[in-house]
Amino acid sequence: MRSDLLTNVLSDLNGASADIEASAIISTDGLMMAAQLPSGLDEDRVGAMGAAMLSLGDRTAQELSRGTLEQVLIKGDTGYVLMTHAGHEAVLSVLAKPEARLGLIFLDVKRAAEAVAKLV
Amino acid sequence: MAMEDKIDFEELARETKILTGFTPAHEQLLIDAAPEIQPHLGAVTESFYAALHQLPKAQPFIEGRLESLKHTHRQWLESLFVGPFGADYTRAMYKVGMVHVKVKLPVEFMQGAGTMIQSELIEVSRKVYADNPQRMGDVIRAVNGVIGFSVTIMQESYQASSLVEELEKFLAITGMSRNLFNNLALAYEVK
Repeated sequence: MRSDLLTNVLSDLNGASADIEASAIISTDGLMMAAQLPSGLDEDRVGAMGAAMLSLGDRTAQELSRGTLEQVLIKGDTGYVLMTHAGHEAVLSVLAKPEARLGLIFLDVKRAAEAVAKLV
Repeated sequence: MAMEDKIDFEELARETKILTGFTPAHEQLLIDAAPEIQPHLGAVTESFYAALHQLPKAQPFIEGRLESLKHTHRQWLESLFVGPFGADYTRAMYKVGMVHVKVKLPVEFMQGAGTMIQSELIEVSRKVYADNPQRMGDVIRAVNGVIGFSVTIMQESYQASSLVEELEKFLAITGMSRNLFNNLALAYEVK
């Protein structure tokens, strides 16, 4: 089933780096498609907020002449949130630790996004 | 689906009549009073637009359209003494509220106009039924009911339309889809 395949992508992603704490695949309308999130996080809110951030990111990149959006990165004092398009219909959202090596994270996320894009 | 297509106007009419105290007895009183009141309605329209003429802010909404606005106004006044005041009338009042938002008429104009017209109609009732205080009181109560009912419907649609307009602006600026916005709102509803 496609949802299992999507979950497998997330399992592989989370397993690829100890710095990745959680990940989710969200439709562009903000609905959760697959998730590997810690308990205590509301899936509906994570999904909708992630999609909204990427949507705003798209518009901001356009308005400020930064070209096509590649990713949105949020840095908090307890870690990062990274969001990127995964094809035209989905968003990949990743939570990473504050000490994460971003170069590697970006690479892992890019590969996972490409895998998701083939599935959705 | 257009905003107004999602509304049950029968139910809206029923609820608003309860809220504004506009009863079936009031509706019948207005219909019964029509032959005596209607000859005075032209003067009410003239008085209304004479008052608006004193407001500089109102001029952009009136200029070049005075006669057609007076005609529409007169038609509406007459309908207050014809009825019925069910789903069709409610839908018509709802559309008036929406149009007011579209033309950017300030909401206080709509509210103030309702009060002005109410005063004029009360004055007409006072003159027409000067010899019959009981009937005067009954017709005035009916006038209060129908104006309150009508303005409440218009205000409800004005508010809803204003919110829709603001939301459309927000969605256009941010590039967010309506579906995404709805799902975001749903996700944050109190569970």
